[in-house]
Amino acid sequence: MGKNKMKVNKKYHLLVGGILSFLVLSLCLVSFFYTPYPPNEMNLSDKFISPGDSGKYLLGTDHFGRDILSRIMYGSQSIVIVCLLAVAIGALVGSVLGGVSGIFKGRISSLIMRGIDGLMAFPGILLAMMMVVVVGKGKEGAIVAISIFMVPSFARLVYSLILDSESNLFIKAAKSYGITRRRLLVKHYLPIILPRLITLFTACLGAAIMIETSLSFLGLGVQPPNASWGMMLNEARQNFLQYPYLAIPSGIAISLSVLGFNLLGDGLNELFTKRRS
Amino acid sequence: MLNYIFKRIIHAAEVLFVVSLITFAVLLWIPGDVAQLILGSDATPEKLEALRISLGLDRAWYLQYWDWLKGLFRLDLGQSYLFGQNVTTLIAQRLPVTLSIAVFSMLIASVTAILLGSLAAIKKNTKTDYFVTGLMQLGSSVPSFWIGMLCIVFFGLKLKIFPITGYVPIEKGFIPYLNSIFLPSFVLAIGEIGMLLRTVRTSMLDSLRQDYMDMAKVKGLPKVTVYLKYALRSAMIAPINVMGIQFAKLVGGTVVIESVFSLPGLGRLILVAVEQRDIMLLQGLVIFITFLVILISLIVDIAVMFLNPRIRVQMEGE
Repeated sequence: MGKNKMKVNKKYHLLVGGILSFLVLSLCLVSFFYTPYPPNEMNLSDKFISPGDSGKYLLGTDHFGRDILSRIMYGSQSIVIVCLLAVAIGALVGSVLGGVSGIFKGRISSLIMRGIDGLMAFPGILLAMMMVVVVGKGKEGAIVAISIFMVPSFARLVYSLILDSESNLFIKAAKSYGITRRRLLVKHYLPIILPRLITLFTACLGAAIMIETSLSFLGLGVQPPNASWGMMLNEARQNFLQYPYLAIPSGIAISLSVLGFNLLGDGLNELFTKRRS
Repeated sequence: MLNYIFKRIIHAAEVLFVVSLITFAVLLWIPGDVAQLILGSDATPEKLEALRISLGLDRAWYLQYWDWLKGLFRLDLGQSYLFGQNVTTLIAQRLPVTLSIAVFSMLIASVTAILLGSLAAIKKNTKTDYFVTGLMQLGSSVPSFWIGMLCIVFFGLKLKIFPITGYVPIEKGFIPYLNSIFLPSFVLAIGEIGMLLRTVRTSMLDSLRQDYMDMAKVKGLPKVTVYLKYALRSAMIAPINVMGIQFAKLVGGTVVIESVFSLPGLGRLILVAVEQRDIMLLQGLVIFITFLVILISLIVDIAVMFLNPRIRVQMEGE
């Protein structure tokens, strides 16, 4: 009976995570074609309208009279684009570094892995902030900052997977046939590595959203007047003591999207582990 | 055993060296001229050149790096151009704030995670378990700055239990001090509980499956003794490791929360250094915090080794 219940739990991770992630992605897609109002349009006569006060603004307006719903929709673009791109770059660089040190070993490997250890020692946001100084505030800075933060996790995963699977018989056999390194990688290592990479990628998206919103909350990410969820919370700070509703939508949006990708990562992880065992 | 400790220290030193290289290299790339930044845009070329020479910026990068490294060993992190003070002094002034929040939030997170994590493990696959793990999922998804803002409104403004912002040093009384750091620590802890709780639950489940648990139950020992003395004690090794890592990362991770609660800690200093591009200050802060992180994880690693009888015996047997 216990096992049955666990199955329900696993499915629910995948389901809820999938739905939430899908919602965030579709919100982003829709915002390219339609937002109720132009997200940056100021309308000072309509400022600080609480949600429900007038039929015109579903989530109310901010201190410049901008429609919050439109800004939330537009803000999802920076989340999705910055985070997807950043994690993708981090995953690519990390996997290549991990793969190279796993296959070639020796001095290159120890050099790369020392570098990875060093990168890992930095507390996340600190490294990100340092990169912002170098690249500059804005989308590019955030992408570089987040992708560098992601490199160590992917490098370590690929490296350890390659080392672990070396003892597998089919890999030993393939090597004894004199297989080329490239074929070994594509035919034998990739099927082992890929599911784990997908899982890590999804889980990292959650972490990336957290860093992106933190950076833009600190004023180091997407720059005004463009909307991003973290910055909207930062802007809400000046007025939210009188108008608490300002701080609700973007907070919920961030939480739900992080939750979505985290759950999806968990669900995928359980799915793949079940299949392997 | 000594051998292991020695190896671990060497590894830590290596990592620190890599970190110092990365920090120095990254900040060397910064576009723009530091001398220009200090003197402003209306400085004459002669003055700029003179300052560059006095700062040593005209020399090769490895000489600059070597000088900076030598400074590190004398605890001299250079001069902040923004504050006109020694970076070491600036750090020393703000460290207590950051350390206080980090320690308190780690305390709150650990106690909660151990209690709830063990509960979830003991009541595995029941409603309690799902509730606790669900709550944990939610807790680690909510951004700390948002909870911080909500807490300020609710506890600070509506209920008026805690001051909204600011820091009271411990010399001005323990209660005001505790009041000023409780809310930020609590908010920070919410984000930390998730990971820790997961570790406690997994390792508790593991230890509940062991044969000695059945033995203890068969002996008819009271439940509390069984869970506390047998299960929890042996289940604490992995969580302690995680705690160490989390605490270390917390020291550098308070930037956002210090900004929300207007606390004058290291995090605020980092933000100022980043915004004003005070390279010396940023370099000093990054290397100091990362050193702290490495040191703490080193200490925890060695402590765990002494705590874990299995590792200890293994080492002594070698």
